[in-house]
Amino acid sequence: MAGSRVLLVDDEVIFTRNMSKLLMFRGYTVTAVNSGDAAIRELEQNSFDVIVLDLKMPGMDGITTLKEIMKLGLFTETLILTGHGSIDSALEAMKLGAYDYLTKPCEIDELVAKIEAAGAKKEGKD
Amino acid sequence: MTPDADATSKISTGAPRSTEPEDVAATRKATYARLFRKFVWLTMLCSVAPLLLVGWGINLHYTRFARQRMLNYFETQVDYHRKIIEMFLNEHSSKLQLIARTHTREQLAHIENLQEAFNALNREMQAVTDLGLIDARGNHLAYVGPYDLMSRNYAREPWFQKVMEKGLFISDMFMGFRKEPHFIIAVTQMKNGEKWILRTTINTEAFRALVENVRIGRTGQVYLLNEEGVFQTSPRSSGAIMEKSTFPMGPFHEGIRIQALEGLRDEQGHEKPRQIACQAWLQDPRWLLVVKQDYAEAFDDVNYANRWTLVFLHVSALSILVVSVLITRHMITIIRRRDAQADQLNEQVLQAGKLASIGELSAGVAHEINNPLAIILTERQLLLDAERHLPLDGQEFREQLDDSLNQIDVQIQRCKRITQNLLRFSRRTESLIEKVDLNAFIREVVELMDREARSSGIQFYTELDPKLPPLLSDPSQLQQVFLNLITNAIDAHDGKPYGSIRLTTRADDARGQAHAAVADTGSGISSEHLDRIFDPFFTTKSVGKGTGLGLSICYSIVKRLGGSISVQSEKGQGTEFTIVLPYTPPQELQESLAEKTARSRRA
Repeated sequence: MAGSRVLLVDDEVIFTRNMSKLLMFRGYTVTAVNSGDAAIRELEQNSFDVIVLDLKMPGMDGITTLKEIMKLGLFTETLILTGHGSIDSALEAMKLGAYDYLTKPCEIDELVAKIEAAGAKKEGKD
Repeated sequence: MTPDADATSKISTGAPRSTEPEDVAATRKATYARLFRKFVWLTMLCSVAPLLLVGWGINLHYTRFARQRMLNYFETQVDYHRKIIEMFLNEHSSKLQLIARTHTREQLAHIENLQEAFNALNREMQAVTDLGLIDARGNHLAYVGPYDLMSRNYAREPWFQKVMEKGLFISDMFMGFRKEPHFIIAVTQMKNGEKWILRTTINTEAFRALVENVRIGRTGQVYLLNEEGVFQTSPRSSGAIMEKSTFPMGPFHEGIRIQALEGLRDEQGHEKPRQIACQAWLQDPRWLLVVKQDYAEAFDDVNYANRWTLVFLHVSALSILVVSVLITRHMITIIRRRDAQADQLNEQVLQAGKLASIGELSAGVAHEINNPLAIILTERQLLLDAERHLPLDGQEFREQLDDSLNQIDVQIQRCKRITQNLLRFSRRTESLIEKVDLNAFIREVVELMDREARSSGIQFYTELDPKLPPLLSDPSQLQQVFLNLITNAIDAHDGKPYGSIRLTTRADDARGQAHAAVADTGSGISSEHLDRIFDPFFTTKSVGKGTGLGLSICYSIVKRLGGSISVQSEKGQGTEFTIVLPYTPPQELQESLAEKTARSRRA
């Protein structure tokens, strides 16, 4: 849903910068942060429709960040984006409440489709 | 750091345990030999030795018993024959005395009466040859017999003197007037103050038959000797009647004696076989009855039984020994085969561990490559977006193009570095001994794992001794050791947001050793787990997260390279593994790897 607010969480600065550009170009409002801590802080201050969360990050990793997000009790849907070959951690994240997962590298259209689906679900909740 | 484990407590261990260096082959060979000897000795101790002891004991006892019985038999023979001879002589002495007492000299002087007495003496057996009546001056008063002896005077004959003294006399064998061996029995009787003598000659043939016809085996013989050692009967060998015997008779004694005769020689000077002799003295006359037999023949039955018992016994013992040797050899072969299978399994486990760690590494590397790939993909997408929506000759498109191409180049270089590192590692699969710069080696490992560690909030620190000389070691094996230790160290921080791994090296030139330590700030290892961390398949990680082989493989590899590995840990504080490696590995390992390499090259 164009116009959705997306929080992009990934420790790869270039990746978040590029992805932000691509999503913004497609009409999303994107906020990019490069750590789990920053994501939590951002979520405490602003509201988002969809969170795109990388699992492997220094400091607070994706799973821990997700747990913290769930503790906040937000209606935001979380998409897991992982570069890890194994999908075990992604599935674990889904058990913790993530909406879906994508593996890096992924096409922007694929990501957009997932964001749309997640956004629709969030809309339904609202 | 965990050993595939999270754990506790502060203990250090470097428990040397034999694993599988190549010198194990020699050690094993010695062990098999020792095991073989032990089994055989045990079998001998538990079965052969008791069998022999009991067998020898029974055989000895039986042999003694049988020999004693044989000796008793000899004694019985001697006693029996002595009694027969004495009975014979007593009977004829008594008969002669009876005739002398129941007849007067005048009566016996009549030839008819003397003939009648002679017939009476020979009624039962032809035991006497003649009978004569002799007066005190030695003249024949009457004579019945085959010889013409009436004119003979015996006054000077030794027997005459003796009978006149003793009243009854049995002479030794002598030739006399008839010039042939014979002996006499003579008795005296007193009439009106004058003695007269009744004398009879014993039938020599009958008497000799009484003694000489006794047959004892093939070599046995019975004969009589007088006090001077002169044969009174003919022996079956080595002498004749009236000849002097060489038999060591000794002085008169009561009872029966047995002696073994050794070292005696015959007339030709040949040594006689060992003999057993049993002897007994007759009371009157003083003759020695000798029963003699070759020792070998006398105890032939005993020796035969003894010999076959011993043969059977030793064959049995030998059979047990041979069977036990064969069984032991078979067992050792089975053990050897099992050991070989275990070695093979161990090798497979090592290989599996290696593959597992490479797989784990690959997963991490894949993640590392996916990130730059994702960036490249986004750059592509940005370019596509720019192409669609910006004028291609415009400044903005050009800037985007430059920016994206630069970024793609950066990310390609990043991928290249990662794949080169991975390739360098994956190439190190063949075991070979070569120069290894441990410091550079650790730097490589750190570089490879750095991203993985950083993504878990872990920082690497290195304190590498610049004076550390290159080691002669196996880089593929060392690589696995450090990969396993660093992976464990990273995993030990599970649940901790931050941590560090410190890698240090130190040269110990005096001992020709390099020390390398991997210390982490992870969860530590508990004391109850510390002793088991090098055991295969020991892990405290959850199912599916660890094979439990990592540290076991590290241990095996380090030992194989001639080094040692030890661990210190404090629960909640961290763990430090210290590896000590020799500058040069054991000669056996070098030779074995060289041989292995040559074999694989030939193949």
